[in-house]
Amino acid sequence: MPDFFDIFFYIIFHGLFNTLLLTALGLLGGFLLGIILAIMRVYGAKELMWLSSGYEKLLRGIPILILIFIFTYGIPDLFWYIDLLDRPLASVILALALRSSAYQSQIFRGAIISVNPGQMEAARSLGMSKVQAFRSIIMPQALRLAVPSWTNEYAVVIKDSSFAYAVGIVEMTKAGYDLGVGFTDLWALSIGVVAILYFLFTYPVARVFGEGQTKKLKKLGMGGG
Amino acid sequence: MKREIAILGIIIGIAVGFAVGWFVPGLFTEPTPTPLIDQIKTRTYIIVGTSADYPPFENKTYPGGVIVGFDIDVSQMIADELGVTLQMQDIGFDSLIGACRAGTIDMIAAAMTYNAERAVQLAASATYISVSQVVIVKNNSLDFLAPITNLTALIGFDVGCQSGTVMQDELEAIPGINVFTYASADILIQDLNAGGIDAAYADGPIFNAWEGTYDLRIIYSSEEEPLALWTRHGEPALLYEINKVIFDSYQDGRMYTLINKWFGNVTA
Repeated sequence: MPDFFDIFFYIIFHGLFNTLLLTALGLLGGFLLGIILAIMRVYGAKELMWLSSGYEKLLRGIPILILIFIFTYGIPDLFWYIDLLDRPLASVILALALRSSAYQSQIFRGAIISVNPGQMEAARSLGMSKVQAFRSIIMPQALRLAVPSWTNEYAVVIKDSSFAYAVGIVEMTKAGYDLGVGFTDLWALSIGVVAILYFLFTYPVARVFGEGQTKKLKKLGMGGG
Repeated sequence: MKREIAILGIIIGIAVGFAVGWFVPGLFTEPTPTPLIDQIKTRTYIIVGTSADYPPFENKTYPGGVIVGFDIDVSQMIADELGVTLQMQDIGFDSLIGACRAGTIDMIAAAMTYNAERAVQLAASATYISVSQVVIVKNNSLDFLAPITNLTALIGFDVGCQSGTVMQDELEAIPGINVFTYASADILIQDLNAGGIDAAYADGPIFNAWEGTYDLRIIYSSEEEPLALWTRHGEPALLYEINKVIFDSYQDGRMYTLINKWFGNVTA
């Protein structure tokens, strides 16, 4: 019968890669889309603002499990060009990315508007175009300001990725669950190990990037937190 | 003026987007879809959905994490017959029918009982094995000293079963039974052993799989229920191959070898 460390390494071996893959791609997709949505909201015309805030409200109002079911079983031909076996994975990544983009756009919107508007005026007075000013003056500062809250978003996405077990993807939750099926006496223990593993992958990141960055920003006189 | 043009642009853009989205998949898929069996042979693998928490029908090995079981061996025979490889997909039992209808999987092999409602949703194969449903209690249970003759004897007790199964329908049809549903058989049996419920209603082989782990006994056994493999409607060629494998394997004895391998001499 496997002991604590056997369970620990079984879950890492069978599930860690998929969990990190889902988290990384979900965050990346959410980042790209989220930045566009944030720019639309801050600088866009009124209609673009409606569009992006409507999108955010819609996506934030749907549970992630429902989104996953919609993209996997509701619209099965969504990824018709992908190998049939990989489609559930692609659907979950899309669901995580769309959901995360709604939250990330809020993070970036807050970061952009917390950069002093005087800087935009100064850059414009030096002859920069609005795009130039945004790209080389506002954006670098905004991204830096966004790091602490973005770490929080990482913690949300890695935990949301556990819902992928519902469509048959073997990630950490599913691996721990499978072990509990094989060894009923270890059911509670293996779920506990899964909890520890998620914590291990969440807390240090929040600590180093979140709190560390907040301190650094304070030293530079930026940011409120 | 500029504003009105922008609004108009967005509305037209959304309308065009939906229109394109509506028509584009139609451009890519042929008007007459190729039969599923040809699709399977072209991509050289068949995807079989199961819920790998139901030994001895299907469960995962340790430490390999490979899905094994009676249903997997039956599916392997079908894959061999078609000349393709077998790809198992482990999905929750409740989601299997939806997944098969959506086309995520080609076939269900998950100890799924034949009944009329399921036959509306999906096409059933011939019965590949029959099992009886049993009511299991702890061996030291004082509530049930003698075997019962009818499920109505369970009225007033807490009875567990797996969710989405025919057992759940049967229990819920009798008012007065407190029905507890579980996502998988292992948690059901575990909770029975822990005293969370008074009795469990499950497939006969489940009892055989767990009686070595826990001290259990059977107090009621139903008529044998047919289990079927399931695929989508409108695929007669695939269904023919599946049925052929089932009949042939009973003819030449391969199925009996599998039954002995997974259930011992206790069932069927």
